[in-house]
Amino acid sequence: MKKGLVLLLLAALSLSLTNCQRGGEQAGGGRQRIALVMKTANNPFFIEMQKGAEEAAKRLNVELVVQAAEREVDVEKQMQIVENLIQTHVAALCVTPSGSREIVPAIDKANKANIPVVIVDTRVDAKALADSGGRVATFIGSDNYEGGKVAGEFLAKHLNGKGKVAVLEGIPGHETGDSRLRGFRDALKATPGIEIVASQTANWERDQGFNVFQNILQSHPDVSAVFACSDLMALGAVEAIAAAKKTGQIAVVGFDALAEARDAIKQGSMVATVAQSPDRMGAMAVENAVKLLKGEQVQPEFVVPIKLVTKETLSEGGK
Amino acid sequence: MRARGIGQSSNFFSHYARQLGTLSGLLGLCVVLWAATPFFLTVSNLLNVAEQAAIIAIVAVGMTFVIITGGIDLSVGSVLAFAGVVMAEALHRDVPVPLALAVALGTGLFCGLVNGALITLGRLPPFIATLGMMSVARGTALMFTEGRPVSGFSGGFRSLATGEVLGLPISVVIMVGVYVLAHVVLTRTKLGRYTYAIGGNEEAALLSGVNVKLYKAAVYGISGMLSGLAAVLLTARLNSAQPIAGMMYELDAIAATVIGGTSLLGGEGTVVGTLIGALIMAVLRNGLNILGVSSFVQQVVIGSVIITAVLIDMWLKRRAG
Repeated sequence: MKKGLVLLLLAALSLSLTNCQRGGEQAGGGRQRIALVMKTANNPFFIEMQKGAEEAAKRLNVELVVQAAEREVDVEKQMQIVENLIQTHVAALCVTPSGSREIVPAIDKANKANIPVVIVDTRVDAKALADSGGRVATFIGSDNYEGGKVAGEFLAKHLNGKGKVAVLEGIPGHETGDSRLRGFRDALKATPGIEIVASQTANWERDQGFNVFQNILQSHPDVSAVFACSDLMALGAVEAIAAAKKTGQIAVVGFDALAEARDAIKQGSMVATVAQSPDRMGAMAVENAVKLLKGEQVQPEFVVPIKLVTKETLSEGGK
Repeated sequence: MRARGIGQSSNFFSHYARQLGTLSGLLGLCVVLWAATPFFLTVSNLLNVAEQAAIIAIVAVGMTFVIITGGIDLSVGSVLAFAGVVMAEALHRDVPVPLALAVALGTGLFCGLVNGALITLGRLPPFIATLGMMSVARGTALMFTEGRPVSGFSGGFRSLATGEVLGLPISVVIMVGVYVLAHVVLTRTKLGRYTYAIGGNEEAALLSGVNVKLYKAAVYGISGMLSGLAAVLLTARLNSAQPIAGMMYELDAIAATVIGGTSLLGGEGTVVGTLIGALIMAVLRNGLNILGVSSFVQQVVIGSVIITAVLIDMWLKRRAG
């Protein structure tokens, strides 16, 4: 056993020396390698983002490595992925943080390795970043607060200023969900006739959206609308409404404008969703990473426009 | 008694043969990765892997003790989250760091002892008792924090994640310390001997005068306390304690234990094997990341490795008779 360990260490030491050279050669030749670390690879939003990033990488002739944890909430796995990518000397790192604060130590590590960091979609907690002295090259994402506000204003009009509303929140502490929620609540403040009777998290997941909304329907059978901070949760709520045979009686507003949500709006099981452009975000992330690598200046922040999708906008042929 | 501690010389060779089997698996994996990518076998990456392995590896020590007694502890991930947020709240109330660490270990120990009491006094199957604790501890952590992470700690506390001792990350040093201690406890103390004895044949252990209830409860207490220790390291690493931290860690810890040759039937196993098991999982994840393998494929590969490792282990066991 001890012998084995000693051998392992010796082997490691000797091989690492020869490997330094090999690493150098490989990094020197060929195209530059940029990494995109997403929250997850199995959510349509991030699949779109990946597509956008891949197209941009092809166009700009850089190599793109895309990695994601198995579960969206797994901040520790995301940190491991970032650490592992730092080991491969990627030239730039684009990250959609799984946790707005928990990503900061990973950013510190990239800073230490002189790898520029581009943050996509979810903002880093400004205070946590300042406390650690971390640096982020730029942020690319939607104005989620504005998105929540637009959704709230639409719902207030849709309900004619009166009614009980339920909210399905994302994971608490996620900047995206928190901002949408703030925007939504602020928009409804102007309409005293509308009351938020329930606000619970469904952890961004569709099946939880179903369960949580089913439970809300039990305690508040008279809700007239639900705002979900993501379409997946909204679609879960749509199913719960169908199971309760109330389709069409409860207005469902989502966020993300997934293809499935657009279909639901056309069919009338949802009334609206807020469109973000994840593919655009992915592409801009890569474009700006390439700019940074060329030594060009980039803006500290890019806001990717959002827009409301309703039956009207869909029938106008808009996307 | 079917107890097979490595202190017993009659089983000495078959025992080490299996350890060497697992170790050669780890070395083989390293060789493959070395051949596949220049970034794997560097000092900085090996330290990186060790650091990534540390948290699961520490949880897996407790799991190994529990599984050797023939039990299981499904609550480790939730207990980790609970201990983490309790400690984080304490730190935010300016409790000195050493005391906060004691709070984390104490919270874990408490949850573990509750498990132990449910299993010994309540006569619940370990699967059920710890399944219940998994949910209770998680729910309590969420209630305690209203679902939000508790983050931002002093540099002193953070140095547990950022500091080094003799060039080694502190978490790695702690991991090694835990393994040395656990190895000594299992092979050289009464607690260790009884752990094997209870798992080998509980009835026989009882008849030969072992206080089975006490030692069983102690083993769950150890598992809980080590989850508390893992919570300290995870919280320092992320500079944040999340009530949803540690999800599925029970499965990773069980996998590391089982890959390391500990039998789910109880009565046999070593922490050295578990360490190798935890390293195999960490090396695999690291290597697949470095190679740019998609996360979907990674899950398939990791699952396959677990199955293969146990298949080989069982085959060796049958051959050893």
